[in-house]
Amino acid sequence: MALLAMKKVNICALKKDRKAVLETLQRLGMVEISDLCESYQNGFLKVDTFSMRAVFDKNKVAAKNALEVLEKYEPEEKPFLSSICGRDEISRRNYYIFANEAEEIMRVANEILRLSKAIDDKTAEIVRINTQIEALLDWKLLDVPMKFVGTKRTRALIGTLPKDVSELGLKEMLAEILPDEDRYTLEVIRSSSEQSCVFVLCHVAAEKTVLEVLRKLGFAYPAVSTKKVPALKINKLLGKIDTLKEQILNSKKEIRSYKGQRNAIKFMVDYHEMRSQKYEMIAKLLHTKNVFMLSGFIPEKYAAKLESALTSKLNSIAIDFSVPGKDEETPVMLQNNSFASPVESVLESYSLPGRGEVDPTSVMAIFYYVLFGMMLSDAAYGLIIVAACGFILARYKNIKAGLKKALKMFLFCGISTTFWGVLFGSYFGDAIEVVSETFFDTPINIPALWFVPLNEPMRMLAFSFAIGILHLFTGLFMQLYELVRAKKFKDAIYDVGSWYLLVGGIIVYMLSVPIIAEMLVLKFILPPNVGQVGAIAASLGALLILLTAGRESRNPFKRFLKGLYGLYGVTGYLSDILSYSRLLALGLATGVIAQVFNKMGTMAGNGPAGVILFVLVFLVGHTMNIAINLLGAYVHTNRLQFVEFFGKFYEGGGRKFSPFFVNTKYYNVTEDACNE
Amino acid sequence: MNNFGVVFALLGAALASLMAGIGSAIGVGMAGEAAAGVVTEDPGKFGKVLLLQLLPGTQGIYGLLVAVLTLIQIGILGGTSDVSLGQGLLYLVSCLPIAFVGLWSAIRQARAAVSGISTVAKRPEQMGKAMIFPAMVETYAILALLVSVLSILNIPKINV
Repeated sequence: MALLAMKKVNICALKKDRKAVLETLQRLGMVEISDLCESYQNGFLKVDTFSMRAVFDKNKVAAKNALEVLEKYEPEEKPFLSSICGRDEISRRNYYIFANEAEEIMRVANEILRLSKAIDDKTAEIVRINTQIEALLDWKLLDVPMKFVGTKRTRALIGTLPKDVSELGLKEMLAEILPDEDRYTLEVIRSSSEQSCVFVLCHVAAEKTVLEVLRKLGFAYPAVSTKKVPALKINKLLGKIDTLKEQILNSKKEIRSYKGQRNAIKFMVDYHEMRSQKYEMIAKLLHTKNVFMLSGFIPEKYAAKLESALTSKLNSIAIDFSVPGKDEETPVMLQNNSFASPVESVLESYSLPGRGEVDPTSVMAIFYYVLFGMMLSDAAYGLIIVAACGFILARYKNIKAGLKKALKMFLFCGISTTFWGVLFGSYFGDAIEVVSETFFDTPINIPALWFVPLNEPMRMLAFSFAIGILHLFTGLFMQLYELVRAKKFKDAIYDVGSWYLLVGGIIVYMLSVPIIAEMLVLKFILPPNVGQVGAIAASLGALLILLTAGRESRNPFKRFLKGLYGLYGVTGYLSDILSYSRLLALGLATGVIAQVFNKMGTMAGNGPAGVILFVLVFLVGHTMNIAINLLGAYVHTNRLQFVEFFGKFYEGGGRKFSPFFVNTKYYNVTEDACNE
Repeated sequence: MNNFGVVFALLGAALASLMAGIGSAIGVGMAGEAAAGVVTEDPGKFGKVLLLQLLPGTQGIYGLLVAVLTLIQIGILGGTSDVSLGQGLLYLVSCLPIAFVGLWSAIRQARAAVSGISTVAKRPEQMGKAMIFPAMVETYAILALLVSVLSILNIPKINV
C-alpha cells in the first residue's frame, strides 16, 4: 500500500529555452503543471495562447479528416485484435524528421481533403444531371428544340396537358371547340396518366384562339427548357456524367495513391495535438520579459531524473524542489506491486485516497480476487478466463495500459475462480458426471476437494459469513491503522476497539449457542464459559460506544442520545455480514445454471443427435453462463468492496495526478537513446 | 387429491420463472431503450451501456434457477414424481420470494440502471459508480433467491 510521495517543483528559466523545457517535460511525462496566479506587482504575467492553439487544433482536425477520407477509399489493413493495442513508439530522431516535413505532409492532407470535397461535389452534380435527364426523357421524341417558337408564319406551342390524351382524342377535342379553325396541326409526343406532352403548330393568326382553347384544357409550358433538341441534350448530359464519373474515379485513384503517407498524416494528428497541449501549458506559466516560471508536482522518485534531464540540456535554469504544505491539495498517484496494481482502477472508480489516507489497494486486492473467485466458483470457467486473458497478454505486448490492467485483474480473478472451483468440485457445473453417464454409461465424478455448496448450502452460508466478518474486521483494522498513524489513540479505542469488542463478542457468544451452531452446521461449538466472556466483551464494547460515540457534544443529554444512535450502528454490522450471503447465492447461481444447461443438452439421450444437441447447448449455454456470471461477480465484488469494506474506513476524495505528457492517439514520442 | 402435490410444486416453479422473467424482460427492455439512445450519440459507449443494460437481467436467471431446482427436486425431469400435497404446497411457498421480489426488484433496478446510463452518457469515467446503484437493488433479489433456494433444498428432509 503506497502512495507515491510528491514534491513540489518550481522551475525558472530563460524564455528562449521555453520550448526545450516544455518538450522535455512533455516527453518525460512526470510533472503535473499547476495553473499559476498572475501577480502584477512582480511583473509576472500570463500569455494568452488561445489563437495559437486554434491553429494547431485546426490542423489536427484537417489531418484527422484526411485520415478518415483515406480510410474510406483505402481501408487500412488491420491485424486481428489490433484495436486493443496501444500506441507505437516513435523515436526522437524520427520525430524531428517528420516534424521538419510537417508543411509538406499537411499539404498532402489538405490535398486529400480537397479531392474528397471534389468527389462529393461531383457526386452531387451527377444526381442533379440525372434529374434533368429524367425530366427531358418525356420530350425525347420531340425533334425540334424545346425553345422552338415557330417560323415566320407559324407559331409553335410546346407544353403539357394535365391528362392522358391520345393524338386523335386531342384532335377531336379541338375540332369540337374550334369547328371553324383548321390552321393548326398537333402531335402528342408522350402521354402518361399524369400528363401528356404536346406539340402544336399553328398559323400566326390562329395562335391566340388555339392557345386560349389549350389553356382551358390546362395547357402549361414545360418546367424544363433547352435551346437544343431534347434527344441531343440528353446525349450531351449523359456524356457529361461520364466525364464526371471518370473524374471521380481519378480523384479516388489519386487519394489512394497517398496511402503511403498514412503514417505521416497520423503523425500530423499527434504532432499538432502535442503542440496544442504544449500551448495549453504555456497559458499556465508566468512570464516576464526574458524569463518564465513554472510550478507543479512531481513524484519524489523522479525528481533527480528531471533535474539531470533539464540541466544536461540547459545552462541557465533554476530548479527547486520542496515538500508540499499540509494544506496544499497534492495530487495522488498510486504505486503497487503487480499483484495489487490491477485493482487500482477499481479503487479509482470509487475514489482516490484523500488527504492523510492510506492506499487500501493491496489489502483490497487479496479480498477482491478471493470474493470474485467464490462468486464465480467454477474451475473450468476460471481456466477459460485465465487462458483468454493470458493469451492476449502474452500475444500482444503493446496493449493499452488500462486494458492491460483489466486483463491482469481478470487473470488473477480467473486463477482464484479455478481454485474455488476445485475446492467446490465444479467443472462446467456437473458436466463431467453428466457426459460420462449419458454417453459412456460409467459415471465419473471428480469429488470436491472440500465440499459441494449445493449439497451443504448452510455450511457454505456459514463460510460466506466467516469471510465477510474477516473482510469487515480487516476494514476496521485499516481504520485503526490510520488512527494510530495519525496518533489519535483515543479515537482508535473509542471508534475501532469498541466495535471489535462488541461485534467480536457477539460472534463469540453466538458460536457458543447450540441452536446457532446446529443451524449453520458447524462442527464445533465454543464452551459456555467462552461464550460468557464474549458476552461480557460485547457489553463492554456496547457501553464504550454508548459513552463515547457522542463525545463531540458537550451537552450530556445530547451525548447520551448520540451514544444510543452510535449503538444503533450494530444493525449496520448485521446487514453488512448478511450481505455476504451473496457469495453463496451467486456461487449457486453459476453452478445450478451450468447444471441446467448440461441437463438440457442430454435430453436427446445418447446417439449422434444427442451428441450434436449436447455440443450445441453446451457451447451456447456455458458461454452465456460465463458472460452473465462474470458480470454478476464483477459488480457484486465491487459492491462488497465499496459498501461493506470501504464503509468501515475509507473516504477518498483525492485528486488524480495528471502529468503533462505526450497524450497522443497514434504515436508515443519518447525521450530515447538518440543523444542529441 | 394426493397427486395435487406435483401440481402445486409445478405452479411454484412456473411462478418463479414467470414473474422474475417478466420483471427482467421489462427491466432489460427499459434499460435497452435508454442505452440505444446513448449509442446514437456516441457509439463508443456501447460496451459500457450494454453492461448496465444487462444488470436487471439477473432476476430472470434467478427465477429460472429456482424453477429448475424445483423441477429437479420433484423429479419431474426424470419423469416420475412423488410429491405429497403438503410438500407441493411447501414448494409453491418456497418459490414465492424470488417470484415477487424478482418481479419488483428487476423493474426498480432497471430504473436505477436507466439513470446510470444517463450518468455514463455524460460522465463515462463514473462507470464504476453508475454500476453500483443498480447493484444495490439487486441485493434484495439475491436475498430472496437465497431464501427460495435454501427452502427448496431442505423440503425433502421435511416429513409432511
